[in-house]
Amino acid sequence: MPNITLTVNGTQHRLEVDPRWLLADVLREQLNLTGTHLGCEQGVCGACTILLNGRPARSCLTLAVTADGSDIITVEGLAHNGQLHPVQEAFWQEHALQCGFCTPGFLITSVHFLSENPNPTREEIREALSGNLCRCTGYQHIVNAVERASETMRKGATHAVPQD
Amino acid sequence: MAVHESWIGKSLPRVEDRALIQGQGQYVSDIRFDGQWVMALVRSPHAHARITRIDTEAAAALEGVHAVITAKDMEALRRGLPDSTPIAPPALAYDEVFYVGEPVAAVLADSRYLAEDGADLVQVHYEALPVLTSAEQAAKDEVVLHPSVGSNIFDAFHMTSGDGRDALQQADHVIRATLQMGRVSPQPMEPRAIAASYNPADGTLLVYHATQSVHRAQERIAQITGLDKEKVRVIAPEVGGGFGVKNGSYPEEALVTYLAKHFKRPIKWAGDRFEEFLSTSQEREQTHHVELGVKQDGTIIALVDTYYQDNGAYPGGGAMVSRNTARNLPGPYRIPHMHIEGYTVFTNKVAQRPYRGAGRPQGHYIIERMLDRAADELGLDRVDIRTRNLIRPDEFPHRTGTDSVYDSGDYPAAFAELLSLIDVPAFRRRQREARQQGIRLGLGLSNSVEISAGFGFEGVRLTLMDDGRVMLATGATGQGQGHRTALAQIAADALHVSIDRIMVVEGDTARIDKGIGTFGSRTIIMAGNAATMASEGFVEKAKNMAAQLLEAAVDDVVFSDGRFSVQGVPSVSLDWRALAERMAEAGEDPLTHEDAFSSGTPTYGFGSHAAIVRVDENTGETRIERYVIIHDTGKVVNPLLANGQVIGGTVQGLGSALYEEMIFNEDGQPLTTSFLDYRLPGAAESPDIEIHHRDYPAPGNPAGYKGVGEAGIIPSQAIILSAVEDAFSDRRLKLDFAPVTPTRLFQALTRGETE
Repeated sequence: MPNITLTVNGTQHRLEVDPRWLLADVLREQLNLTGTHLGCEQGVCGACTILLNGRPARSCLTLAVTADGSDIITVEGLAHNGQLHPVQEAFWQEHALQCGFCTPGFLITSVHFLSENPNPTREEIREALSGNLCRCTGYQHIVNAVERASETMRKGATHAVPQD
Repeated sequence: MAVHESWIGKSLPRVEDRALIQGQGQYVSDIRFDGQWVMALVRSPHAHARITRIDTEAAAALEGVHAVITAKDMEALRRGLPDSTPIAPPALAYDEVFYVGEPVAAVLADSRYLAEDGADLVQVHYEALPVLTSAEQAAKDEVVLHPSVGSNIFDAFHMTSGDGRDALQQADHVIRATLQMGRVSPQPMEPRAIAASYNPADGTLLVYHATQSVHRAQERIAQITGLDKEKVRVIAPEVGGGFGVKNGSYPEEALVTYLAKHFKRPIKWAGDRFEEFLSTSQEREQTHHVELGVKQDGTIIALVDTYYQDNGAYPGGGAMVSRNTARNLPGPYRIPHMHIEGYTVFTNKVAQRPYRGAGRPQGHYIIERMLDRAADELGLDRVDIRTRNLIRPDEFPHRTGTDSVYDSGDYPAAFAELLSLIDVPAFRRRQREARQQGIRLGLGLSNSVEISAGFGFEGVRLTLMDDGRVMLATGATGQGQGHRTALAQIAADALHVSIDRIMVVEGDTARIDKGIGTFGSRTIIMAGNAATMASEGFVEKAKNMAAQLLEAAVDDVVFSDGRFSVQGVPSVSLDWRALAERMAEAGEDPLTHEDAFSSGTPTYGFGSHAAIVRVDENTGETRIERYVIIHDTGKVVNPLLANGQVIGGTVQGLGSALYEEMIFNEDGQPLTTSFLDYRLPGAAESPDIEIHHRDYPAPGNPAGYKGVGEAGIIPSQAIILSAVEDAFSDRRLKLDFAPVTPTRLFQALTRGETE
C-alpha cells in the first residue's frame, strides 16, 4: 500500500493507505477524526467538507493518495486552545444546528467564505452555503450565525483563521 | 417564596452544541468496536420478482469477508420483523422480493470496502413478476402481493359525522376534485445506522442505534435475538435527524443484532445515501377524490373524501398515516357533516411510515385546497372563505367529527393578525402592477392545527450525582431537537438550580427502564411534564433525607431557593451539593426518583401561514419572497429552540411542496436516488421566515405545553400550491399535484388545466 504524508490540523501523519480509500475514510478511520461526516458520498451534501490546502474540498470525493503532502483542516482543528472559532461560537449562539450532522461541513465552508468575503450580505451568505445541505434548521439560523461571525471577526476577534 | 430565576421561557443556546460544533458528537457511524465486522447488503434490483437461486461462493471466498448470509442459511432471518401487522417483512427476502432495495443477502467483512466488494460478487437469480406501482390499480386486486393478507388493501376504514354524504344535498354547490401528493423521502442527513456487540460471558447485547425510541427497539431486539429484554441495552447516541423514519423496525436492525449474537462478533452497519433512498421508509403518497359541499356564501356544509394511500410493499406504519390523515381533514374549520373512506394499499415500493406530519399535512392539504377551489368557483375571496369557516374561540371545546376536541387558541384572531401583517390589499396592488411587467406574484394562505401527543406515557428518572448535580434520564430520545437543554430548563426551575447543574441523558435503556420515544411532537409535552412531576417527588425524598441528616422532623424541613433548611433555624441548611456530600459521607445510596406523565389528551397548537411567491413563467421556478407565520406554541420552554423547530419544519415542507418527489417508473424502479435527482431545499432558495407568537397554554396538561415539531411542515404543500395558483389567477390555473416542480407547473400551464 502506498505511503502518504498528511498534515492534519497542524500535525503531520505518515500513513499507509489503500489507493482506493477516500480521504474522508482515512481521516475518520485511521486518524479517528470522526467530526468529518459522510452524508452522501456523492459530493452533493457537503457534510464531509474539509479545507485542503486552504480550499474547501469534498473529502468523500477525494482519494487519500491524491492528497499526499497536503495540509488539511477539519472541524476538529477550528478551535484553538479551548477557544472556539468565532464561526463556531456564532453557530452556538444563533442555534444554527439541530442534529449537528451537517454542521462540520457548514463550519468549514463558512470559515473559508468569511476569509474571502469578510462583510457579506445575507444573499451572498446563502449563495456561499448553497453547496451544503441541512435538513433540520431551514438555514435561517445558519445565515444568522455567519452574519454574526462576520461582525465578530470584523471587530477584530483575536482568534486566527486557520491558515493553509 | 422561591427567589430563584426561571429558566423556562429563556432563549438559551443549547448545552448540546459545544461538542457538536467541535466534531466531538458521537453518531453510530463513529462507533468502532474492537474486532468489529462491517455489514453490507445485497439488495433487490427488482420491484417484484421470485428469487430462484443465490450464489454466494465467490463472495465468501474473498479475503477479508467473514460470512455471506442468506435467509436460506438462517431460519431466524426468515421470520417476520416485530411490530408489523397484518404482515411483516423478513430480515432477508427468500422466495420473493417486493421492492427495489429489499435486502436479500448480508455480507460481513473487515471493512465497508471489503463488504461491498463481497456484495458485488453475490449473484442472485430472479424471475420477474408483475409490478404494482399505483395504489388505485393495486386496489383492484388483479395481482395480490401478499396472498396471506387476501387483498392489497390492508387497511380500510370509514368515518362519518353528522349526516355524512347525504348532507351534500343541503349544499348550494358541490366542488369536486382529485388531489394528489407525490412520494417524499424524508432524508435525515445521517443515514440509518446500527452497531451491536454481544458479550458471551454475561449474555448481554450492547446496541448503538440511530433510533427515535430506544425502549421499543430494546423490545424488538429481545424478540429478534431471543435474549431477555434486561440483557439488551440500547443506546441512541447523537442521532442525525429522524423525522419519523428512524422509528420502528427495519431489516438491518434484525440483521445486525441477530448476527452479532450469532457470530459473537461486534457488527456495524452504517447505511449510505443510496440505501437511504432505497430502503428507508417514505411518505405522503395519496390520491384523494374529494367533494366539498358549500353554501352560496362559502359556509362549509359537508366534506366527502375517498382516498388511496400507496403504502409500498409492507405495512411500515402506513395505516397510522392514513388514519391520521382523516383526523386532520377538517383542519381548523367547522365542518358539520363528513364522510371519509381511506384505503391503504400495498404496491411494489418501499413501505410508508410516519414522516414529520404523518397525516397532518395530507389532511390540511385537502381542506385548504378545497377551500381555494370553492372560493374560485363561487367567486369568493380565498381569504373570506377561510374567515367564514374558522372555528371561533367561543366554540371550544370543539368536536371536529374526526375524534378531536379542539380546546384552545383564537384562530380568527391569529388569521386576522396574519392578514394585517401581509397587508393583503397592498399586495394585490403590487401583484397587479407586477403582472403588467410580466412578473408573476402569488399569495398563499393556510391555517393549521397541530395535534400532538395524546397517548401513552413518558418517564423521567432523576438521580443526585456525587457532585450535587442532578442526572435526568428519559427514554424520549432526541434527534437534534435540543431536549438536553429544554428538559434541563424545566428541571432547573423545579429543583431551583442553574441549568448547568442538570445533566440530561436521553436514549439509554440502562438509565431508565421504560420509555416510548420522540415522535409526533410529544417529548416536551410528555417528558416535560414528567420532569416537573419527578422533580416534585425527588424534592420530597430529598426533604426526608435532609431531615435525617439535619436531625429534624421532616415536616419542619422546607425547600426554598435550592436549599433544604429547618424551619426557624435558617442558619442550618443544605443545598443539593451539600446534600450529596453528606449522603455520601453517611453511606447512603444515591437519591433517585422516577415518575411518568401519562395522558390521553392531545394538545392543539395552531398556525396561520402566508407565503408570497414569485414564479418565473419561462423556467417554472418558484421563489419564496416572503413567508410569515403566526404561531400558537402553548407554553414555550425555549423560544429559540421552538422557533428553530417551526422554521426547520417549514423549510423542510417547502421541499415537498416545490422540489421533492420520489419518481418510480412502470417497473417500480426508483429514478430519484441521489441528492442530484431528489432535490432538497438549499440555503439559496430557502426564505427567511417571520414568526409571530400568539401562545395559549394547552388546557390539557399541567404545564400547558403544546407540540411544535410538526407545526411548520403541515401547511407547506397546501400553501405553496395555493400561492402558485394565485400567481396565475388570471389564467385560472388549477394545480392538483404536490409538489409543484417546474416540470409539473409547465405541464399544468400547457396541458389545458388553465382556462
